[in-house]
Amino acid sequence: MRIAEPERDDVLLRRAARGDEESFTLLYRRHQAAMYRFALRMTGNNWAAEEIVQDVFMTLMRQPKKYDAARGTIGAFLYGIARNRVLKHLERLPREVALEEKNEDGTGSGIVLMDSATPATWAEKRERVEQIRAAVLELPAEFREAVVLCELEEMSYEEAAAMAGCPIGTIRSRLHRGRALLLAKLEMLRDVPRRASAVR
Amino acid sequence: MKCEEFEAIGLDAERDASLSEAERAAAREHVNSCSRCAALQDSWLAARMELRSLADATSQHQAPARVEMRLRQEFWTQHHTVKTRRAAVIAGWALAAAAVAVGAVSWSNWRAGLHPGDTSNPVNLTASGGGAKQSAQDQNLGANSETLLADNELGDFTLLPGVLASDTDDAAIMSVRMQRSALGALGLPVSEENAGDWIQVDLLVGNDGLPQAVRLPQEN
Repeated sequence: MRIAEPERDDVLLRRAARGDEESFTLLYRRHQAAMYRFALRMTGNNWAAEEIVQDVFMTLMRQPKKYDAARGTIGAFLYGIARNRVLKHLERLPREVALEEKNEDGTGSGIVLMDSATPATWAEKRERVEQIRAAVLELPAEFREAVVLCELEEMSYEEAAAMAGCPIGTIRSRLHRGRALLLAKLEMLRDVPRRASAVR
Repeated sequence: MKCEEFEAIGLDAERDASLSEAERAAAREHVNSCSRCAALQDSWLAARMELRSLADATSQHQAPARVEMRLRQEFWTQHHTVKTRRAAVIAGWALAAAAVAVGAVSWSNWRAGLHPGDTSNPVNLTASGGGAKQSAQDQNLGANSETLLADNELGDFTLLPGVLASDTDDAAIMSVRMQRSALGALGLPVSEENAGDWIQVDLLVGNDGLPQAVRLPQEN
């Protein structure tokens, strides 16, 4: 890449709009992972996340003038587009919850657990992560969004509110209700193995 | 702080920057005095740990390389098409401008042909395509042209042997540089003394391409 890494996003976007492919590529590489993770955590579907990321950057490519620097960063702008695409996707498939997504190479959802000491621990931890993932995906979209932004993306309430386009109070309330639902689901999931072992 | 309030804002009080220090202190005080809310906070902290493990497990995820490939392909197509279209528009305008320039030069040459000034060429066509009568009409319209017309100037021309005056109706005037001896070929008498001289004559040429009459230059 001939463009220096600290080049500002808006400069890159201006160059990309003039047809500089390298600027566009750099912009894509900077933001794609965050967009992809957000879409994946919201949809639980690799293919949908991939499609959403592609849509987001296709929009940026075709309508770069839609971005208004006065209204926020390019990252926030991209999040806004991704959020709209995610919500559209969830409206189309309201009950689709993929518990075990297969990657192209058939290796499952791609969840990576780096620090599991033994295979048994690894398997147990992986199962638990899958349960949490399923529990998050079962939350209603607006609560899920608050949980994903604040707990998984680790945004502050202000950032999450800006991203979701609502007041902080709304984010706090959605998070509160999302948390309550999540706790209930996780409690239930914890109890299932216990009951199963008690029956045995 | 009541339990409902604690559930709404107290669980995440340490992280919520929009809360005041007094509210945080109230939340801490409440959780120390309420076992139910303390248990709720513990559950939430455990759930948060689990959420963290999910976040960590997916923190390395990124879009597959094929997305970047598709986007770059699309980018190239989009900008290449725009450039090609722009080049086509520019080429179109350039061609139109060239056509106009060629037209203007042709017209200018044609106009210049109507005003012969250069007689250095051995054969110089001064008028073509204009009939004698048509030229007369042009003159009547006030065109100050040397394409003077047969009817008007026929008096200066000497009809060649065997040519009738009526045959010169559609004739055109050609200015020709020739040797005086060549007049003999037209049936005119030539003096041997100056047969080798080069002279400028005007020929009245009919539609068949044959000379009908000749006008000799004024002798000084």
